[in-house]
Amino acid sequence: MLTGSADIDTLASTAPQLAAFSNEDLDLGDVLCLQLTAEMRNSAREAVLPPSLHPTIPAALSLQALRVQTSPWGAFDLALCRVSCRSGVRARGFSTGGYVSSEAACAGLRERLGFPLTVGEVDFRHGYDGVSLKVDSAVHVEALDPEPMGLDAVQYTGTLNLAHTPMGLRLLQVEMQTSASQVERLRPRILSFDGAAWGNALLAPSQVIAATVSTMHLVLPVVRFVCKADELAFTGTEAVS
Amino acid sequence: MYHNALEQCRLADELGFDHVWAVEHHFLEEYSHCSAPEAFLAAVAAQTRRIRVGHGAVVCVPEMNHPIRVAERAAALDLISGGRLELGTARSSTWTELGGFGVNPDDTKKTWDEFVRVLPKMWMQEEFEWQGKAFSMPARNVLPKPLQQPHPPMWVTVTSPGTELDAAHRGLGCLGVSAAGYAEQERRTKEYHRIIQQCEPVGGLVNEQVHTMNFLYCHEDYRQARNVGVPMVNAFNVANAHLYWTREAHPTHAYQTLGNAGAAMKAKKPPADDPSVAKGLPEGVGVGDPEHLVATIKRWESIGVTGINFLLNAMEMVPQEQVLESMRLFAREVMPQFRSAEDAERPVWTPARVEV
Repeated sequence: MLTGSADIDTLASTAPQLAAFSNEDLDLGDVLCLQLTAEMRNSAREAVLPPSLHPTIPAALSLQALRVQTSPWGAFDLALCRVSCRSGVRARGFSTGGYVSSEAACAGLRERLGFPLTVGEVDFRHGYDGVSLKVDSAVHVEALDPEPMGLDAVQYTGTLNLAHTPMGLRLLQVEMQTSASQVERLRPRILSFDGAAWGNALLAPSQVIAATVSTMHLVLPVVRFVCKADELAFTGTEAVS
Repeated sequence: MYHNALEQCRLADELGFDHVWAVEHHFLEEYSHCSAPEAFLAAVAAQTRRIRVGHGAVVCVPEMNHPIRVAERAAALDLISGGRLELGTARSSTWTELGGFGVNPDDTKKTWDEFVRVLPKMWMQEEFEWQGKAFSMPARNVLPKPLQQPHPPMWVTVTSPGTELDAAHRGLGCLGVSAAGYAEQERRTKEYHRIIQQCEPVGGLVNEQVHTMNFLYCHEDYRQARNVGVPMVNAFNVANAHLYWTREAHPTHAYQTLGNAGAAMKAKKPPADDPSVAKGLPEGVGVGDPEHLVATIKRWESIGVTGINFLLNAMEMVPQEQVLESMRLFAREVMPQFRSAEDAERPVWTPARVEV
């Protein structure tokens, strides 16, 4: 069985700190969401994941970008890189790094849900012919030729954020509750991507698969389960009391 | 592993099992290395005498298999086996495979439909020509012709809910490959049998059979069966879950579920009074002592399932001798509850309802 082999101490050194688990859902209202999937070189597939997780075959990553208009921290744009993985048998994305345009949102999302974010300029543009995403030198993506899709055509897997919590160093299972009003599939191109800027120099997309841009109502519900980073999910998963 | 599988096939033939199936998968590390099933099945056909040879499911997208080559290979296998071929059809559910061959997931249902309509014609017609979306060809006589008349039975693998109806509408057998519970399987089987009565067959016969996928580990002591069989089942499910599903990678209307993994996760826990629960065994799974397996198979039979395809091992977790002993015990204690020794010697039943 293929399992992650990343060094826990290295991952822990940059992990966000949660003083407590929030007991309220985070309603982000109507958001614009870009999701791009790409295959990665298999040579790095285990090295970028903690030992509790399994890589997909082939290794893959997803980039997500959000334009949020209403939140407890006001409006912000966010970009997140996730390695596609399995926690036990469940499809997940392990977050390696991300950027957000607002200092307040950065602090809030780190402290409340463990997102590994830093403040940065997220240039997320949406036009009639597609979208573009540019984050400093970290990434430059274009996705063009939008094609309408069914509202349930996109699979949003839960995100696993590594954070220091009151229960110890844990992977937080952050689900996405989505209700889309418009979904378009696009033809994406990655013009530049710097793995180190997303948390691990081994991250290197080798083949772009697909991209979608959706208008949706997004809620990030309270974290109900966490998982130890160094133990398989079958035994390492714990309910948040 | 290949030689172990061949030994299992020879023993299955001797013991009176009805079918052996070889899947077609590509690039699926740890999960399946059976990418050239026609080569494996040629060996099976040559080393057995009675058991039906299941070539399936063949992935019916032109980037992986040209339909002419599918018809040719299947007919050759039918001849080599003395008329024992069954042909399963599918379209693949992983991005791992579709992406590897550069297949557009939007198109696979359409190409599968085209394949199942042309294959019987290639086998039955002396001169066949076609102008289609997946492929076109000028008039040719596709050779050899199969031994079975009008042609070998055809099946469809069913992962996504609703595919069983696609099978029924076309008069094709339903080859279940996902882990549905009793209630869900009963609902889908009833609907399949209802619709196939009014089907428009794509070929020269209607194959009205419903087979499901299961696991087999049989031992006199159910605790021992559980200790060996349940880890095997779990390992298979975990390996299956690690594949990169098409719906996860490439949004498309053509894939509504996450393959087998999605179905397995939705399977309900058995009710508390289910005999599996007391023995710590999963509901409906062919792991247990002979008495338990007889009851389990009778339950499947009662809801309209006409056959069960058992996985005998997963990633070689069970030593070969234990696999063979499990098969022998199953044949000795379980099979006689469903048919006589004389029946087990007769040719395996095949559909003969000719529609042309």
